[in-house]
This record gives sequence, structure tokens and C-alpha cells, in this order.
Amino acid sequence: MRWRPAGRSLRHSRLQRVLAVAAIAAAVALPVILISVGGGVSAHELANLQNAGYQLVVSASGVHGIAQAHRLSLQIDALGGVTAASPILSVPIDAYSGRATPTPVLAEGVVPGAFGPTLSPAEGGLFPSPLPLGDPTDLVHYANGTYRGPATNSVLISTPYALADHIGIGTQIRLAPTANLSLAVAYNVTGLFGIPPTFLGPTGAFSILLPLSNLQEMTGYGAAPTAVVPDAADTIQVAVGGDISRSPSALAGVQSEIRALVPYYTVTSLTQEAEQLQSAAAVLTGFYLALSSVGLTVGLLFLALVLLRRVESDQRSIGIRRALGLPGWSIATGILWEGLVLALLGSLFGILVGYGVVEGLAMWATATVQEAAQLADFVPLTLLEIVGGVAGLSLLASAVASRSALRLEIGEALR
Amino acid sequence: MNTVSPDVPVIRLAGVSRTYFPDTPEEVRALRGIDLTLEAGEFVSVEGPSGCGKTTLLNLLGLLDAPTGGDLRWDGRSVGTLSDRERARLRLRAVGFIFQRFYLLPTLTARENVELPMRALGVPRAERTRQASDLLGEVGLSGRERAYPHQLSGGEEQRVAVARALANRPGLLLADEPTGELDSANTRAILDLLVRVRESRSATLLLVTHNPEVAARASRHLAMRDGQVVSDVGGSRP
Ligand SMILES: Nc1ncnc2c1ncn2[C@@H]1O[C@H](COP(=O)(O)OP(=O)(O)O)[C@@H](O)[C@H]1O
Ligand SMILES: [Mg+2]
Repeated sequence: MRWRPAGRSLRHSRLQRVLAVAAIAAAVALPVILISVGGGVSAHELANLQNAGYQLVVSASGVHGIAQAHRLSLQIDALGGVTAASPILSVPIDAYSGRATPTPVLAEGVVPGAFGPTLSPAEGGLFPSPLPLGDPTDLVHYANGTYRGPATNSVLISTPYALADHIGIGTQIRLAPTANLSLAVAYNVTGLFGIPPTFLGPTGAFSILLPLSNLQEMTGYGAAPTAVVPDAADTIQVAVGGDISRSPSALAGVQSEIRALVPYYTVTSLTQEAEQLQSAAAVLTGFYLALSSVGLTVGLLFLALVLLRRVESDQRSIGIRRALGLPGWSIATGILWEGLVLALLGSLFGILVGYGVVEGLAMWATATVQEAAQLADFVPLTLLEIVGGVAGLSLLASAVASRSALRLEIGEALR
Repeated sequence: MNTVSPDVPVIRLAGVSRTYFPDTPEEVRALRGIDLTLEAGEFVSVEGPSGCGKTTLLNLLGLLDAPTGGDLRWDGRSVGTLSDRERARLRLRAVGFIFQRFYLLPTLTARENVELPMRALGVPRAERTRQASDLLGEVGLSGRERAYPHQLSGGEEQRVAVARALANRPGLLLADEPTGELDSANTRAILDLLVRVRESRSATLLLVTHNPEVAARASRHLAMRDGQVVSDVGGSRP
């Protein structure tokens, strides 16, 4: 109603108002950055979980904690409703490709025929299908735990690694367990695969895929041929048929059947993991908000100070209005408007600054930060909530200033 | 004169005093027991040296301030004890102030200044715009509606202030040294204007002045010293 005086008074003592807007902008930018990036990252992780090609995970504590992975996978695969059980062993090893120095890579040992069906549609597009790794069951070389069967020394390598070391399909590379050059074995590169956008870091981007049994044998706990390889894996990812995967109770049934098979391992469903992730994300968001409220408080204290200064410098005008008998609300409205305009301007700039910072990080920060920033999700509703909160709090600041305006002695103000 | 409008109050002061900062070392007894009756429609001049309490008296009469002692009545109704908010409401409808330093709002145009009291009373925009233009016409400022105070001369500013004081048709006009900052030509013009608008509205006009020529236009003359009325001449009216 009384927006015009407020709007015009924006021209007076401009610096104070610019500073107030800047303070609020800085205060708003913080939660915008934290919440958009944090929310984007956890939404991405969540989407990864929810779109995964598998629904249950068998895992064990300790390094490579699942023993007898081949046999266990076959048993799980035989359960009703299970469409694939894919054991995975991940070990960092050294790869030699013509140069004297090795490249550290993350090697993933998989059963080729089981690995494919547990990929999400998005991931599936990154791998050749079927995986050109020879024996799809990985039982030939494994030969019931003797590792005496003929091995197919085929390996798939990630495109970042291929590009970095100039390796193409058909090239030979030599693989050795970390810090054990004497055990290096020659492998034929039979295919390339892409890396899904996730937080593997630079090492993760350099990864290779080979038959589980080969990796087990290469990294077996002991060089002597007599050593017993425990047929280790880190996890077994289990895919179930479409109908079961959509019914939580049917999924729980399969889950308990697997538990009965391996009471000493942990069997989690991705739904449970998603829930955990979601509650962790909620905790983080709350923490971000608490952190930001400190900044917001400072910004709004600043706003209150600026509004109080305005009441001081506008004593004469306020005194005139009150002398004419204008009601208190008509005087307070002007101050309220001014507070609101400054708060909204500040919020707007804050959102722009936050957006700009995130965009900047997405372009120029270190790789990991870049990836996180690229995932940032600016949810309009959340931004609106922040703006609404700031606007609401600005009313508090305005109320403080209005109170002092209405307490002004008229005679005093007009002297 | 019996054409007095019913909206014009009879104002009665009995032993009215106003003390600033009572019971402190800075205590100022600005008014000390004023007894005074202002009949509806009177034109009263108030004279007295600076600091004798003229402005304080006007502020009490115009409900800008409340007495610290004594009784102040409008048409028999005690108004000295009203709350700030009630006094403001009555002030908005019933009192028109004209100050020595004009006190226009610098961020509003002439017409917006005049509209201000009407706006607070909820007069519809079209209606108040029309009335404000009429009032500006009445004080001789047709065509200057859109001028800002800093674009007006002192005499013009005071005309706008007079128009604003008339906005809600108050029965009581209070002018505190309204010509104190004007040259003699403008002083005469503003004075003519005040006399004319008072007559056309039958309002009570109380005018503080140091100028004998100005005071001579009034029908009743008060003189003050040290917070008291020391002379009251011409009160009996034909
Ligand atoms: N708001 C105020 N606070 C304290 N003292 C005041 C205030 N207003 C006026 N006074 C004092 O009251 C006395 C009367 O002042 P005032 O009514 O303004 O006199 P006049 O208008 O006749 O010059 C003076 O001594 C003045 O200093
Ligand atoms: Mg005075």
C-alpha cells in the first residue's frame, strides 16, 4: 500500500541498503549451495540405487570377505525368482602397457554371464554385450577351485585408461598384483567400457574387468601353487524377476531365503540402503540448514540495523505522518515493505550467487568437486522455501524498526 | 455567528499543564495551569516570546500530545486521557495542522501530500484525487499537482500545507507561526488564504504569530508568558 515511499527511499543512503542486500545474499547463497549440491548428490546416489539392475546384495565384513563365491552364487541363482547372482571382487592392481612404469588400476573380477544381467539399463549401455571375456560361467578355469582349467586371458579396459595409455582392442597388457611385478601375466584387450558418472575418483576411472577366477588366482593369498585360494568376492549382487522386485514382501521372502543360505553374511536390499541413504541425506540437509541459519541471523540483524537507521533518518517524515494522524499500520507498512523488498532482493541475488558458485565449481574445481557440482539440483520448491523463510524473518526485522518508529515522540521528531 | 458546523468543537481547558521530564533535573514546566475556552468558529491569535509554551499549547489542543495535569474537553468530552491511537484517529478527522516549516513529505508530490490524510481515512482513489485537485485549486496551485516540494517556493509549499490541513474538513485549524519563514508578500497571501478558508468552513482557527499585522486579523488575541495566558482580548463576540 505504502510501497512508493519505501521504493523511493531505496534511493537514499543507498550504500546501507546495498550492504544489507549483500549480507542477505551471502546468507542465502550458503544454503542454496549446500542444499542444491548435497541434495543433487544424494538424489543421484539414490537414483543409482533405485535404477540398479540388482535388488539384493550379499556382503561380508573384512577385505574380500565372501568365500566360495562361485558355489554360493550358483546356489543363490538356483533360488526361485532369482534371475542372476553376480559375485564381484575388486582389487587395485598394476597394469603395464609398454611403458616401464605401471599404471595403478582398479580390477573387477566378474562372472561374465552373471554380471551383464545385474547392470541397470544405463550401465548396460557402457559395456559390450555379451562381455567378450570368454567362458560366460567362469567355471572352466575355476575348475572347482583348482584353477587348473584353461584360462582365457581376456580383459576389458575403461575408456579413460585406454585413452591415457593409448591402448586399443587387440593390444596386450600385463597385469600384476600390486607391488609384485614378478607375477605379471599377459592379457589381451578384447573390449572397452565406459565409466558411469559416479564418485570413483581418478583411480576408479582407470579400471579393468576380467574373469573372477583370473583375478582370484592372480591376487591369491600366496604365490605358492599349493596355497588354497578361498574363492573370494566382496559382494554378490542378486537380481530378481520383475514381479518380485516390485513387491517388497516377495523381495523380503527371497532375502530371507538367501539369509538362510548364508547366515554369517549380511543380506541387504537396495530399498533398505535407499532408506538409509535418504535418512542420512535428511540429517545432512538439517545440518546444512542449521549451519545456514547462523549466516541468515547475521544477515537479518544487519537488515534490522539498516531499517532502524532508516527510521532514525526518516524521523521527520514519520513525525509528520503521525502528526497528521495517520494510523500506525500505515507507517509500519512502509517499513515492512522496505524490509521485504530488501530481503527479497537479497534472496534473489543469493540464489543467483549460489547458482553461479555451483556453476563455477562445475567448470573449474577439482575433478571430484566438479562432478558433485554438476549433479547439483536446484529444486524450485526448496528455493521458494528459503526465500519464504527469509521474507518471514525480514518481517521480524521490520517489526523491530516499526516499533521504534511508533514509539517516536512526535514533538521530538518535528523539532 | 450561528452558522457554525456541528463538527466544530467547543474546546475547554481547565488548569491544563504540561511538564516535560517531570521529577528530573531537566524538568521543564512548559504550561502552568491554563484555563481557556475556545468557542466553535473563533479566530484566535496567540502571541508570546519564544519558549513561553505556544507550540506546547497547540500540540495539546490538536491532540498531538496529552496534558500532564488538568482537564481538556472537546464538546464536553474529556480528550486529555485518550490513548495515543484514539487521539491519532480524532486528529486525522478533526484537526488540521499548519507548521512554520511546512512539513511536506519530500518524497510525495503536492497532490499526494494533500491526499495523504484522505488515503488514511480510506477515501477512494478517484474521489481523493479529485478533492486534492480541488483543494490545490482553492489555494491557487492549479497545475502544480505533480510538483515535488523541492520544486516549489516557500509560499507555494505553505499553500500545499494549508490544502493538506483542509483535506478531511477539520473543524479545528492550528497554525504554528505559519508565516515565520515567508517574505511579507507571501505572509499576506497565506494569511488571506487562512482567513478565507476558515470563513468558508466556519472552522476554529488558532494562529501563533509574532507578526502584529497578522495578529490584527484575528478576532481574539491571547498573549502568553512562561507557560501561562497573561492576556485574553476580544473574546466576546457579536
Ligand atoms: N519535546 C520537548 N521536550 C522537552 N522540552 C520541551 C519540548 N518541547 C518544548 N519544550 C520546552 O518547553 C518550553 C516551551 O516550548 P514551546 O512550547 O515550544 O515554546 P514556544 O512554541 O512558545 O516557543 C520550552 O522551554 C521548550 O524548551
Ligand atoms: Mg513554537
